[in-house]
Amino acid sequence: MSFLNKISIGLKKKTFGSWLITIAMYTLALTWLYPYIWMVTASLKPTSEIYNTSMFSGNFSLDNFHFLFDSAEKLDRPFFTALLNSFFVTLTVTFSVLLTSGYIAYAMTKIQFKGHKQLNNFLLFQMVLPGMLLTIPMFVLIKQLGLINSYSAMILPSLVSGWGVFMMAQAFKGTPNDYLDAAKLDRASMSQIIFKLMVPLNKSIVAIVGLFTFTGTWDNFMWPLIVISDVDKMPLSVLLATFNKQFGEYVGPVMAGSVIQTLPLIIIFVIFRKYFLQGMSLSLK
Amino acid sequence: MIKPLQMNEAKIGAAIAIGFLLFNAIFWLYPFVWLAIMAVSEWRFFDAPVFSGLTNLNYVLQDPEFWNSFWNVVRFMAYFIPIVLISSLAFAFGLQHLGRGKVFVALCFLLAYISSGVAYSLVFTKVFSETGPINLFLLDWLGYTIPWLSSPTMAMFSVSLVITWKFVGYFGLIFYSGLNAIPKEIYDAAKLDNCSAFTTLFKVTLPMINAQLIMVLIFAITVAFSIFTEPYMMTGGGPMESTNMPQLVMYETAFKRLQPGRAALMAIILAGVSYLVVRVVRKLFERDLEIV
Repeated sequence: MSFLNKISIGLKKKTFGSWLITIAMYTLALTWLYPYIWMVTASLKPTSEIYNTSMFSGNFSLDNFHFLFDSAEKLDRPFFTALLNSFFVTLTVTFSVLLTSGYIAYAMTKIQFKGHKQLNNFLLFQMVLPGMLLTIPMFVLIKQLGLINSYSAMILPSLVSGWGVFMMAQAFKGTPNDYLDAAKLDRASMSQIIFKLMVPLNKSIVAIVGLFTFTGTWDNFMWPLIVISDVDKMPLSVLLATFNKQFGEYVGPVMAGSVIQTLPLIIIFVIFRKYFLQGMSLSLK
Repeated sequence: MIKPLQMNEAKIGAAIAIGFLLFNAIFWLYPFVWLAIMAVSEWRFFDAPVFSGLTNLNYVLQDPEFWNSFWNVVRFMAYFIPIVLISSLAFAFGLQHLGRGKVFVALCFLLAYISSGVAYSLVFTKVFSETGPINLFLLDWLGYTIPWLSSPTMAMFSVSLVITWKFVGYFGLIFYSGLNAIPKEIYDAAKLDNCSAFTTLFKVTLPMINAQLIMVLIFAITVAFSIFTEPYMMTGGGPMESTNMPQLVMYETAFKRLQPGRAALMAIILAGVSYLVVRVVRKLFERDLEIV
């Protein structure tokens, strides 16, 4: 009897405890979203109301967004151009990284040629060196090439990614050569083998490389801040920072800009959440 | 039939490899050569660099701002590492005991990791401002406000809170996968030995996730040495240089004071020191795990 009693108490305790944990975790999850929620509600209110109304009250309108896209042109802050710049640079870099990583990873894992091993070692060496070493001398190179204040300054150095090659090579290694031999017997070209066979077979890694390249490039701040000073070439991240520096007291428009800067990342994250979770646990090993 | 095809493929493979190396010769090796040249030259971006030997080193080692930025890294780590380790572990334990909605909760936390540095820095600047919502709340309930970003003693703490907000989801997932890999039998054995929850945590759980702890610790150290966007946007290095991190000093030295040589040398010293710190941490805390 007492034994059974103990078990039932134990069960009850467990359910009570797990209820508590569940409530705590959901509360924390919402707390973590608080900055986003505040950002969105603030972006919809007139600046004068942001600090003295509670989060969900006030006169909601899209005025701040109109202000950004219309009158900000007069303030020499072309937000719409900046948004297009961000998309152009980010998409070009992502597309190029996927393409080059695919070819290089295939060459490194499925083709035998001289210097194969050294190439692998070089890649590993390149990945462990911290990026902060390269910032200043990369600026020197871009300056010598006469590319300061150009899209190329933001795109060229990122066309190939060592990390992308490494990730794809890890994945391609595991694909059995039998598939390739079959494709070769059918006279498939190398590009066909890579993009019709290797990529679909290793879909999640390819997605991870693409997604993290996209978010990383979109969010990049220090590099474009250094090489771009012309407002018409600035990506959104830099334009938003300079806008805040000069017109920081316009909290509403600044928050509207932050919403626009964050939105593409959130949309991509929500759509591809499965791959992001996979990507995180991949790097866990 | 297949042999000539393979020969052809080997040529293409070599061509791709050469292309890859060519790219790296321009965008990787060449900058590194310049890094070395700049570190020992007097140069202002325009004229020809003049060899100046150890002048830059002398200057950097006597630059109070540079040393202050190192001290700021230490201060940042003193806040950031304990806070982020404990909260990520708590997150991982919580996630383990969560029945339903694991993915939802994890995604809420990870959203902070994916978001844009410039945007959330701006949001936190406003949320933490003198008249911001957090201070309004504190004033209503407790009758006082906290100078989150405007006091030299608080600013670094606030910055580290923001960075913690960003990384808890990611670090927590790393711990979570470590926790899931611990065999359940070990806990049964600990129970049989009447271990308290405290003993189980420190003698079983934490040693079993040593690899994940080390990994997170190394990430956290790397973050401490390389943050730029958050202090640049939130405090600009102030107040009174209290959040002036090394990357900010490097940026200022190279592009505002136009002393790229000194900034390059700072980068080299910084990379060297962060490498050494990581080595020391591994030496001190890394254990080879063996389950007998």
